[in-house]
Amino acid sequence: MNIIETKNISYHYPDGTPALHNVNFKVEEGSKVALLGANGAGKSTLFLHFNGIIKPSKGTIFVDGDEVKYDKKTLLKIRQKLGIVFQNPDDQLIAPTVKEDVAYGPLNIGLPNNEINERVKESLKSVGLEGVERKAPHQLSGGEKKKVAIAGILAMQPKIMVLDEPTAGLDPKGASQIMKLLYELNQKGITIVISTHDVDMVPLYASKVYIMSKGTIIKEGSPQEIFKDATTIRDANLRLPRIAHLMEILNKKNGLSSCKPPYPLTIGEARRRVLEQNLI
Amino acid sequence: MFEDFLDRYAQSNAIRNVNTYYKVLFGIITMIVSLVSTSPVIPLTIFILVSFIILFRAKIPAKFYLKFVTVPLTFASITFIFMAFWFGTGSYIYTLGVFNLGVTVSGFNLGFLVFARMMGGFACLAFLGLTTPLPEIFSVLEDFKFPEELLEITMLMYRYVFISIDEALRMYQAQQTRLGYSAGLKKYYQSMGMLIANIFIRTWTIGEKSYVSMQSRCYNGKLNTMDDHDSIKGIPVRNLVVLLLFEFVLSVGVYLTGSFRVL
Repeated sequence: MNIIETKNISYHYPDGTPALHNVNFKVEEGSKVALLGANGAGKSTLFLHFNGIIKPSKGTIFVDGDEVKYDKKTLLKIRQKLGIVFQNPDDQLIAPTVKEDVAYGPLNIGLPNNEINERVKESLKSVGLEGVERKAPHQLSGGEKKKVAIAGILAMQPKIMVLDEPTAGLDPKGASQIMKLLYELNQKGITIVISTHDVDMVPLYASKVYIMSKGTIIKEGSPQEIFKDATTIRDANLRLPRIAHLMEILNKKNGLSSCKPPYPLTIGEARRRVLEQNLI
Repeated sequence: MFEDFLDRYAQSNAIRNVNTYYKVLFGIITMIVSLVSTSPVIPLTIFILVSFIILFRAKIPAKFYLKFVTVPLTFASITFIFMAFWFGTGSYIYTLGVFNLGVTVSGFNLGFLVFARMMGGFACLAFLGLTTPLPEIFSVLEDFKFPEELLEITMLMYRYVFISIDEALRMYQAQQTRLGYSAGLKKYYQSMGMLIANIFIRTWTIGEKSYVSMQSRCYNGKLNTMDDHDSIKGIPVRNLVVLLLFEFVLSVGVYLTGSFRVL
C-alpha cells in the first residue's frame, strides 16, 4: 500500500515562478525512499506538501489512504502521522530546554503528562542522547541538535518520517550515526523518506530512489535502475557514486571488460565483483 | 559573549539546584522591600548582602560580577547626578555657576534614594539571573499566572537571542574577512549598518522557517510547556522561616530608618 501518494501535483510560488510540475511521488508503507536532486530542484517544497504546509496549485495528495484536506482537524491528524525533520535544526528547536522541545509535539497533541514524560525519555534514548534533558539547545553541538530534532519528531510516534537532508552539515561519524538510526527506525516499522544529494549514501540506504530536477520527477526505481543511466544522472547536476565512477573509468578508458555495467554502487558490491572475477 | 556567560553561570553555579521558587521568592520579596524603603540605608544594605550571597554562596567569580555591576552602576550614577541637579526645590548647597544650575538638599536626597533603590533592585535581579536558568524562571512565572502571551514571547525570545547572536557573530566575522571594519570610520559605520539590516532580514526568514516547523509539529496557536519542575511545596520549612525572618528584619529596618537622610 502507498502510504504517501501525490497525484499530478503542481505548485507555483506566489510570485509565479513554477516550483513543481506534475509530480507523482509514491512511497510504499515500511520502505526507505530517497529523493535525489540538486540544489533548488524542489525537494523541500515537495516535502512541505506532504503535511499540508503548502497547498498545491493543482493535484491531490494522499497520506495513509486519506486525502490531505486543508481544514484544521485533518491537518492535525496528518501532521501527527507524518513528521518532518527540517534541514537546519535551529529552525526546528524552539523550546528553552531539550526536554521541553522534545515534548513540544506531544503537548500539542494533548497527551497526558506521564505519557509525554515516557515518550520524551524513550525518544531521547533511541537517538542516543541521554542526560541532556535540561540543557538549552544552544549548548549542544550540531550533531546533537540534529538528534534532538529527530527525537522531537519521534516523540509524536509518527508512521512516516520525512527528513530534509538529514546528513547535511554533519561530520562523517555524525552522518553515519544518523543513517544507522534511520535504518533502525525503519526496522521498527516507520516509513522513512529522505532528501539528499549524497549519491554515495543512496545505494547503501534506499530501496527506492526518485530523481528530481527542475521541479519534476525525471526518474524512479531501485538504486541499480537509477544509476544505470549515467547521462540522466549527470544532466540532473548529480553524479554516479564514486565506486561506480571508478568502475566506469576502468571499463571505458582501460578496457577492463569485467568492469562492465551494471556498475557496482557500493564498496561491498565492488568487493564482491573484484573477488569473483579475479581482477587482482 | 556576554549573554552566553550569564546563561552559563545560571546553568552551573553553586546554588543552581536550590528550589527555584525559593530563589524567586527571595529575589522578588527582597526587591519589593528595597523599593518601598524611603531611606537609602536598607536598599544599600540589600545590595551588599545580596552581592555577598552571589559571590560567596553562588560562587560567581568576582571579576565577572564586578563587570556586570558596572552597567547599572553607570546608569544609577547618571540618574543620581541628573536628579540632584534638576529635581528638588529649596536653596542650593552647591552651584555650578553656569545656566543657574545647582544641587538642592531635596534633589540630592531624592537622587541618592533612587540610586540606592536601583542598586538594591539590581542585586536582586542579578541574583535571579545568575543563579537560576531562565527556563525555570519561566515555569515559575507560569505558575504565578503571568500572562500567557507575554510568557510565550519571552520564551521564544530567549531561544532566538542565541540564534541571532550566532548569526550576527558569523556575519561580523565574514565582514572582517573582507576588511569590513578596518577601512576607516565611515566604512566602519557602513559595515555596521549592513550588519544590522541583515540581521533584521535574517530574523524574518528564521521566523518564517520556525513557524513552518512548528506547524509541522501540530502548533495550534498556543505554546504548551511541561510542568514538572520544582514545586513551591518543595521548599524546606526551615528555609521558608529563614526567608521570612530575613525579610522581616529588613522591613523593620525600613521602618526604623524611614526618616534617615544623607544630608
